[in-house]
Amino acid sequence: MVSLLRSEWYKLRKSKIVYILLVGPVVGLIIGIFTNIDMLPLEMNQWVGTLMMMNLTYALLFLPLITGVLAGMICKYEHDAGGWKQLLALPVTRGKVFVAKYFLLMLLILAIQVFYLVSLLGIGFAKGFTDTFPIEVVWKSILGGWVATLPLASLQLWMSMMFKSFAASFSVNVIFTLPTIVIVNSERFGPYYPWAQPFSMMYLSGDTNDIFFVPWDHLLTVVGGSFIAFFVAGFIYFQRKAV
Amino acid sequence: MEYVVETKKLTKKFGIEYAVADLDLKIPKGEIYGFLGPNGAGKTTTIRLLLGLMRQNTGTIKIFNKDLNSTRLEILKKVGSLVENPSYYGHLTARENLETLRKIHGAPKQRIDDVLDIVRLSDVGNKKVKGFSLGMKQRLGIAASLLNNPELLILDEPTNGLDPSGIIEIRNLIKRLPSEYGMTVLISSHLLSEIDQIATSVGVISKGKMIFQDSIEEMRMLSQQKISLKLDDNEKAWRFLSSKGVKVEPENDCLALVEQSDQEIAHVIRMLVENNFSIYRVEEEKRSLEDTFLQMTMEEKAV
Repeated sequence: MVSLLRSEWYKLRKSKIVYILLVGPVVGLIIGIFTNIDMLPLEMNQWVGTLMMMNLTYALLFLPLITGVLAGMICKYEHDAGGWKQLLALPVTRGKVFVAKYFLLMLLILAIQVFYLVSLLGIGFAKGFTDTFPIEVVWKSILGGWVATLPLASLQLWMSMMFKSFAASFSVNVIFTLPTIVIVNSERFGPYYPWAQPFSMMYLSGDTNDIFFVPWDHLLTVVGGSFIAFFVAGFIYFQRKAV
Repeated sequence: MEYVVETKKLTKKFGIEYAVADLDLKIPKGEIYGFLGPNGAGKTTTIRLLLGLMRQNTGTIKIFNKDLNSTRLEILKKVGSLVENPSYYGHLTARENLETLRKIHGAPKQRIDDVLDIVRLSDVGNKKVKGFSLGMKQRLGIAASLLNNPELLILDEPTNGLDPSGIIEIRNLIKRLPSEYGMTVLISSHLLSEIDQIATSVGVISKGKMIFQDSIEEMRMLSQQKISLKLDDNEKAWRFLSSKGVKVEPENDCLALVEQSDQEIAHVIRMLVENNFSIYRVEEEKRSLEDTFLQMTMEEKAV
């Protein structure tokens, strides 16, 4: 498993992945820079206000899009020139290959979230925020966003393995990402829509009694449940995939 | 005989179509087994089944005397393969491509230089594979299959896309493998001449069925020769020779003598001359191995 992960990382490292990782955080950075903190309500913490503005575009649009691109990337070079058949004819199990790819994908998303946090810190220092840094709120948002991509990323990985063409999986992802803006406002569908979960969990609300910004039972049932469903479905699909 | 690969009634269906049907493949240890068949006969499907890239519908596969489905990992550690078109990662160099595989095999780093040297790609080892010609990619694929020093090497059409000198080079390399490294080689091709020059055992597959499996010598025996005679009166000569108990068949505007020794042919001709037949031509027609192969696959179609 370790050797497989090292091999996967090696393949990835040599591709132009770094630029893609930076897209989301840079978008956040730009929005943060142009956010006029004087426009925010006075009683609001400067950090929280900026993060809220950044989240709107980042979590709603760019994070789900980029995770899809990353999932597509780690499968693209396998699809392109018979990589799957070469890889699977090696002494590895399909299950391990799937888990290794997923693990790597989640690691990349975590890196994006960290870069995003760095963006926020950069903006704060550049603008000389005087309010105290709301560490608890921020880590909940950053880490919550990551946890929320667990089901989404497994769904995207599954799709990327299924579609030979990178453009196809990307298009599907765009089609499902765009309506998020509407769906996230729906009380009934919002919580269950995989593409809306990152925003819901990064959204800063006053209630900080729960572990993240959503209630515990919601986290376990919806996020946990859909994670298991998509992961298992993708895993089984990959087991049976003819290469 | 000890078999490295042994399948029993191996069957794979795509929909209702049989890609491989009741295939009993037997590859003896230390041999170069030529797996021969026209395009679409089921060669690549069989190879995919042998590597566990696909699951068979029925039948069993034993490699190194172990069941493939239950001991796949253990078996694949000792197998090297090149399936169909060469597989590669275009964004990596030849050396980096091999490195991704080496990490999984756990082979020593030195092995990368060794295999690059074997297929003569050492001087382009640090170039991106994207820009490689088909022949170079093919060589890289062969290098990759040798990386783990396999006991069984499976090469699917390995000389595809190679230039003549490349073909000879790879052929000589493959010929060395059994004696120098104790490898058993399965090599598939749709070209009989290719197999004829390299293989020690042959299996011929057509429409998913094994229609011939034996040593290459046995196959050469099948390509028998015949003597054709042209005379002034073929009809009369045929009746005359038949009455003398000579096996002869009328064929177009001549007569064909099958399986005759030199003495027997001399005897037949003497008889014909002594009985005042005018002999215009005596020709030897050698059925090439190619014809034998064609006939085998044609017969299968007629059934």
